[in-house]
Amino acid sequence: MDTAGDAATGGGGAVPGETKKKPPTAAAKGKSTGKGKASPKASPADKESSLLKQKSPAEFFAENKNIAGFDNPGKSLYTTMRELVENALDSAESISELPDIEITIEEITKSKFNTMIGLVDRERVDEALYDDFESAKAREKRLAKEARFQETQAKNASLGKKVKDAPAFRGKGRGEAAFFKVTCKDNGRGMPHDDIPNMLGRVLSGTKYGLRQTRGKFGLGAKMALIWSKMSTGLPIEIKSSMKGQNYISFCRLDIDIHKNVPHVHLHEKRENKNQWHGAEIQVIIEGNWATHRSKILHYMRQMAVITPYAQFLFRFLSDAADKNLTIRFARRTDIMPPVPLQTKHHPSAVDILLIKRLIAETTKQNLLQFLQHEFVNISKLHAERLIGEMGPDFSPKMTVKSLTSQQLVRIHQLFRQAKFDDPSGNCLSPAGEYNLRLGIIKELHPDMVATHASSPQVFEGHPFIVEAGISMGGKDVKQGLNIFRFANRIPLLFEQGADVITRTALKRINWSSYKINQQQDKIGVFVSIVSTKIPFKGTGKEYIGDDITEISSAVKSALKQCCLQLKSKIVKKLQARERQDRKRNLNRYIPDVARAIMETLVEIADDSPPKRPRYDKEDEELLEKVNSQEVTDKTFRDCLMQHVEQVDYEMALDYAMQSGVSEEPREAIYLNSLEGSYKFVDLQGPVFIFRFIP
Amino acid sequence: MSEKKRRAGSDAAGPASSSKRPRASSAASYAESLRSKLRPDASILASLRSLASASSSKSRTAAKSLAEQDPSDPASSYIVVADQDSTSVTSRINRLVLAAARSILSGRGFSFAVPSRAASNQVYLPNLDRIVLLRRESARPFSSVATARKATVTARVLSLVHAVLRRGIHVTKRDLFYTDVKLFGDQSQSDAVLDDVSCMLGCTRSSLHVVASEKGVVVGRLVFADDGDRIDCTRMGVGGKAIPPNIDRVSGIESDALFILLVEKDAAFMRLAEDRFYNRFPCIILTAKGQPDVATRLFLRRLKVELKLPVLALVDSDPYGLKILSVYMCGSKNMSYDSANLTTPDIKWLGVRPSDLDKYRVPEQCRLPMTDHDIKVGKELLEEDFVKQNEGWVKELETMLRTRQKAEIQALSSFGFQYLTEVYLPLKLQQEDWI
Repeated sequence: MDTAGDAATGGGGAVPGETKKKPPTAAAKGKSTGKGKASPKASPADKESSLLKQKSPAEFFAENKNIAGFDNPGKSLYTTMRELVENALDSAESISELPDIEITIEEITKSKFNTMIGLVDRERVDEALYDDFESAKAREKRLAKEARFQETQAKNASLGKKVKDAPAFRGKGRGEAAFFKVTCKDNGRGMPHDDIPNMLGRVLSGTKYGLRQTRGKFGLGAKMALIWSKMSTGLPIEIKSSMKGQNYISFCRLDIDIHKNVPHVHLHEKRENKNQWHGAEIQVIIEGNWATHRSKILHYMRQMAVITPYAQFLFRFLSDAADKNLTIRFARRTDIMPPVPLQTKHHPSAVDILLIKRLIAETTKQNLLQFLQHEFVNISKLHAERLIGEMGPDFSPKMTVKSLTSQQLVRIHQLFRQAKFDDPSGNCLSPAGEYNLRLGIIKELHPDMVATHASSPQVFEGHPFIVEAGISMGGKDVKQGLNIFRFANRIPLLFEQGADVITRTALKRINWSSYKINQQQDKIGVFVSIVSTKIPFKGTGKEYIGDDITEISSAVKSALKQCCLQLKSKIVKKLQARERQDRKRNLNRYIPDVARAIMETLVEIADDSPPKRPRYDKEDEELLEKVNSQEVTDKTFRDCLMQHVEQVDYEMALDYAMQSGVSEEPREAIYLNSLEGSYKFVDLQGPVFIFRFIP
Repeated sequence: MSEKKRRAGSDAAGPASSSKRPRASSAASYAESLRSKLRPDASILASLRSLASASSSKSRTAAKSLAEQDPSDPASSYIVVADQDSTSVTSRINRLVLAAARSILSGRGFSFAVPSRAASNQVYLPNLDRIVLLRRESARPFSSVATARKATVTARVLSLVHAVLRRGIHVTKRDLFYTDVKLFGDQSQSDAVLDDVSCMLGCTRSSLHVVASEKGVVVGRLVFADDGDRIDCTRMGVGGKAIPPNIDRVSGIESDALFILLVEKDAAFMRLAEDRFYNRFPCIILTAKGQPDVATRLFLRRLKVELKLPVLALVDSDPYGLKILSVYMCGSKNMSYDSANLTTPDIKWLGVRPSDLDKYRVPEQCRLPMTDHDIKVGKELLEEDFVKQNEGWVKELETMLRTRQKAEIQALSSFGFQYLTEVYLPLKLQQEDWI
């Protein structure tokens, strides 16, 4: 977000100022050290012109692709997929359509890839030329090692030990590059036919700029995937798109001219739209690595399904090997969507001088009073007048805002820093919603227990944020201990978990045992979603939120604590129920011992002849008589005790039921997916419902 | 006996004189110079005799005051158990078992009322000078998960004790545990329930005919009969005679000793026994090898009551030495219900006292710094009533806490292995240096 902002501000052009020089020089530096071709093309005169700002971003990101999450082929595959998925979600949500998204990753073998680009497969002629060539000595060594391994394997097998899998003997070197076709199809807004090349072929020219809660990290979206495909395969990207009510489908094949940051269109045509389809389908062929990032991609999909239970995802992986193929459907669980996040104005305490300059450049308001009143939140007319009065004698409400000098801007900035403003409201935010988070957790994890909590909006440096948390216990595919799911602006964060504020809070600042939760043994799912107009990411990859912001860390902690409190009462109830179940077994275990102990002594007492033993009262004497006549035996005591335990248990169960009430859990509405299409059905009439049977 | 005495004397002279020469340090020479202060044994014996006679007359009055207080009113609010014969114990068990059996047969389960032996229930009574158990009973019903196990173990122990009493034999706590290892699980559990049963029945543990294994040892001028066999404790070798775990077996106690010497540790006991200290100064030497067990405490009390001899204690100069002394004198919390039979009041602290460390110039390398835990225990002891009663003890304890040093009896061995028996103890006795 802020990188995009900087670049846009730097390129604002119209505003004069010292700060302007910085971004171009940085970009120029990157260019000269990077690709040799780039520098001769860019003449010094271009640096000052508007051409430069369009040109540098694509190149900058091509050279620093790790910033956007394209560190290596595996990560690139992951990031490409998630950028496409997030765009698709945004697109569908922007027209309040329940998202329905299909993602296909198709593995392309080298020979297939070569035919695609029209390259003839060539056999290796000079083996020793290649990096993975195995010299005679190395082969000897490897064979000896394999033989040894096989020997131990046989030995282990004969001893009945578990046989280890043979370690994969990988040739050294970089190995074969793998290529993937990533396709993402959605039912969203689609793109206007003529805008498609510019929307996808120009970096930093998005529609999502402005201050609002957004999913994207940089506003790079699919463009970065396009740059990566250009870098790794050289193949163009294919886009199909149609907008609602459009009777044609736009088809576009394009790639990007990295140096000029302009789209390079291969084909742009209108096709027939038979099914009234609307949405977009983007297909890109890139280098990737499925083996290393398979689990990350699947985790991402699963977590995305948790945080967006109103969306339906179909994920497919296709390859030549049938056993590796995968199809996962994440079903829709609700049709309630969070509202579209609203664009909001800046809070005075969150702006810097550059931003003020940009706002002045963009504003339509004429004088200072109107500018303050309308371009910022939480400044009323009265407040603006007081602020202007405080700024000093050379300020007046009626002065034209565009005539402010740099010094005056600094003064405004200083006052913004020191003055007191009301906190921004969280109205512009669109949290996942406690209900949706809960549904998502239940849908994907099937936990035994779940608790959720949504905090009220809070503020960090003028940006409102909302923390929602959920804690689940048990469930399928959950490992023992803490399983932490992090979400920022409703997208999952998967990398760099260790230093994250959520991880650290869950691990260090929550005393789980005080809520009767065993941190090591129980299967605990911790879900925290933070939404904000600005997420304070740390690190280059923007994959985690720093632990140094007290406002956020305390909000996370209190939200988690609230969940724990809810769970505690449930857990205590459960423990009581279990204890009740165990008590019968526990008591019954001791019955034989008691019966034996009592009986042995009774027999001994009865054995003593009456004159020797002291007289007891009548009832005792009767009892001893019965012992002598074997009317009362070991078994009698056992039966009586058993009965007693049974009765006590029954009474306790009644007590328990009275205390805990009959209904244990609040009932939750079930969601039935509506059927698509029309079916022939048979109606079965019931007194309160109709049962429709589709034969 | 005279032979031994002479032999002991000559032996003692040998190493002592030889050890004098190599040690040139001032501390050692000072320690040796103390030897010359010793008066002939006869004069020391005279002072001891006067102590013994004073003790016998005093203890008579002391015993009286105890006798007055024991059966008095506190019996209703404190639990005091007494020795009982096996018939009365049996009949008490019978009544408990019959009641439980009838309760079970009527379908009400069963429950025992067990006096609580929790630490909060134990109080020190200054006028009795010992720890007693308050009368507060708690129910132990079978139908509660928390107490089901304990109730079962109690029933089992009752039946086992019943069987033991009926056959007129004695068993050890270990025997009892092994009769039903599976149920008891751990000896500490059966031991604890055994103490509970003692309280429930209001009799001493020895009345249950269950005893602990032998731990304490005695040697010296004592003759008694152990289950009818005459034992002469001067002819028990160096190891001494094990104190019978069952005090009932002991009868016919005779002695010409002038005092009883209570020793904390086995090592010091062995030195005293080997040097035949009891022949030079007629005494009975006794140790429980650390924390005293019930048998040793019973035996000491028995000796004190029957022989009316003064008791002098030789313990380490650390908080634990004093703690052990307190157990002999006031009883332990665990056995507070039987404190009347187990405690021996009026034990004199002979040594090694904190003030002795400087008085005898014990070298620095033989003193140990007190740990934080030691200091904590020491401070707690200062708060204890039995320490507060004796001004001398308070002073000594304060000295210990001030110097933050402790020393074992063995620290005296730095002046020669026999310094303890040849110089330290005689000089202490001569100076009547006990508090």
